[in-house]
Amino acid sequence: MSDPPDERTPPDPDPSDESVPDGVDTAVDPAPSDQSTVAAAAGIDEAVLDTPRELASTVRLQWIVRSAIGAAVIGAVVTVIAYGIGSWTAFLGAGLGSAGTIGGAAFALFVLVGVLRAALLYRSWTYVVRADSLFLSRGVLTRVRTVVPYVRVQHIDTRRSPLERVLGLSTLVVYTAGSRGADVTIPGLTPDRASTLQRRLERLTTGSEEADAV
Amino acid sequence: MSEGDSTAAEPALTDRSFRLHPLSVPYRIAERGLGLVVFAVFVGPPAFRALAGTVGATVAVALAGLIAVGVVGYAVAAYRRFEYELTADTFDIRSGVFARRDREIPLHRIQNVDISQNVVQRALGIAAVRLETAGASGAEAHLKFVGRGRADALQRAISRLSRAEDGEPADEAETESLFEISDRELGVLALVSADIQLVSILFVVGSVFLPALGTLAHSGWLVGLDRGLGGLFGPLVTLVGIVVLGLAYGLINATLYYGFKLSRGPEELRYERGLVQRFSGTIPLSKVQSLTITENVLARALGYASLDIETAGQSGGEGNQGGSQSAVPIAQRDRVIELANSIEPVGDLTFERPPKRARQRYAVRYAGALTVLAGLGFLLQTAISISLSWWAPLVALPLVPLGAHLKWKHRGYHVGEDHVVTRNGFWVQRLKVVPYYRVQTVLSSETVFQRRRRLGTVTIDTAGARSLVGDDAKAVDVDAETTQRLREQVADALYDSLWRRREPKTND
Repeated sequence: MSDPPDERTPPDPDPSDESVPDGVDTAVDPAPSDQSTVAAAAGIDEAVLDTPRELASTVRLQWIVRSAIGAAVIGAVVTVIAYGIGSWTAFLGAGLGSAGTIGGAAFALFVLVGVLRAALLYRSWTYVVRADSLFLSRGVLTRVRTVVPYVRVQHIDTRRSPLERVLGLSTLVVYTAGSRGADVTIPGLTPDRASTLQRRLERLTTGSEEADAV
Repeated sequence: MSEGDSTAAEPALTDRSFRLHPLSVPYRIAERGLGLVVFAVFVGPPAFRALAGTVGATVAVALAGLIAVGVVGYAVAAYRRFEYELTADTFDIRSGVFARRDREIPLHRIQNVDISQNVVQRALGIAAVRLETAGASGAEAHLKFVGRGRADALQRAISRLSRAEDGEPADEAETESLFEISDRELGVLALVSADIQLVSILFVVGSVFLPALGTLAHSGWLVGLDRGLGGLFGPLVTLVGIVVLGLAYGLINATLYYGFKLSRGPEELRYERGLVQRFSGTIPLSKVQSLTITENVLARALGYASLDIETAGQSGGEGNQGGSQSAVPIAQRDRVIELANSIEPVGDLTFERPPKRARQRYAVRYAGALTVLAGLGFLLQTAISISLSWWAPLVALPLVPLGAHLKWKHRGYHVGEDHVVTRNGFWVQRLKVVPYYRVQTVLSSETVFQRRRRLGTVTIDTAGARSLVGDDAKAVDVDAETTQRLREQVADALYDSLWRRREPKTND
């Protein structure tokens, strides 16, 4: 199995693909050189290691569409409530028009928040395939960085929702026996990249068992 | 296939299928029947009368009889169709009246084997046995019910066979008693298990809202009640009520741990406890994920603590009781630490506290919470126009610095040779010991507020069942740089410690 170069994100309009998003510099730890690493045991080329990678930029669209759907639901609920309040009390103006305005405003507000969040979250996301572990960093309000040692990986899934299929995206889920297994999810990968990463992680996981058995 | 005496049955326990204890049939009918009796008393007569009115009394009686026969018949059939068998490396269960289910549980996957008996079951000499494996949401196997002797024999045989599978000597080794609860400790347990935090919160809430209730009652229907007296007695009555409730809870807890005994067999711990309901169980030492030493304010003042052992199974003992995996419900702090050390040799603990600026964070948080509470009270008062001591939370403002200091003081982490230890909580202090080789994932998080003060939290996730409720080991509010360092250090230490654990095995 050859390792196709997946450092490059094909649909990324930004050509400076190896740019390190802010806040990662302290987090990336060079692989300990004195010890044989899992990557070495698994025969993974050192060139692919320790490069911080971003998500595909279309993932922003996915998040925006998702939050727009949520905002539409909230807007509809707000409209109904405003209509109810308007027809039974003098608190709000009666009629569908004023209720619609309030609902529309709620919708617009939530869409705006969704767009902002998508933009910031996209900028915050990085993942790194390290020699011994998978490293993820993301989060807008709360910044979360996760280290998943390869020995602890139980299995790896890729999955695609209908929306992701339309946008040409894929999500990778790494399961551990820990209780926070659901936290280890990498969204917004191109299908090629997701399957490459899945194969690579599978090799690293098996490799880690061999290293472990020494 | 009768239920023999334990000693007689033991040699032939493996490779033979058994049924449950015959008495489990009437017991389970009675258990189900209780619901039916309630139904029969409240819904039965009118339903019966209505039925008798339309189709005649004979048919109605026949129908009722049919239902009873159905219930008994199903219980008998379920009994006859349930078989379990212990082989050299699996525990098999074949069950199901209509839909059959065959289940094989590999013995080395079994985490705990628990036996429980309530009063009635004790009188009948039967016991429920639960086998737990990692990952399953409930017990993987639940035998309801087998004879008491059989239950013990099964427990012993399973641990012996799973040891034999690991290549350890399979002979029945003697057990060494580690801990027995004394009457004094039982008393302390009853006193201490009444949750102080809950008591104080209830008291504050009670004293804020009761006067309001008093005035409401005063203006409304209880015109005769003297308001001043009500204002004086309200909080007092609340306080007494809360203390009595707390003590009652403590007493119940004490009966649960009555006669607690912990002993150490080869590669496992065994416990038994309970006055009314008896529990006993095994905790394999090779499956221990983490240890927790817990002490609440009262226990700490008295110099006592408790020890919990987490395995990846659902929980030891009876399902959803919190703290049922207690290895030691209560004991002198030194003894608890000694015991913890004998399970996971941590050595001396020197805790690194969060930087002092974390205290400001807590102070701001508490002051904010009090202000919001007072604000809500004020809003409530203006909205429904009753007099409420809405300003009461603000009285506590001078206590904020003290609270912040105490919270800060009881936090900390310790990075040892083979373990990482975290400590949190003033009201209930939890010390979590995680061996490096049990680490699953490590994550650090920084909220907006933490980033402002260059702080962060490191969470160390294990496969323990208790972490499902967010009870992970956490180093909270450590310096931002330490956050990065600690995260990487723990993840690296996992590999180091795995390598070290392998080495002795390849050498011999």
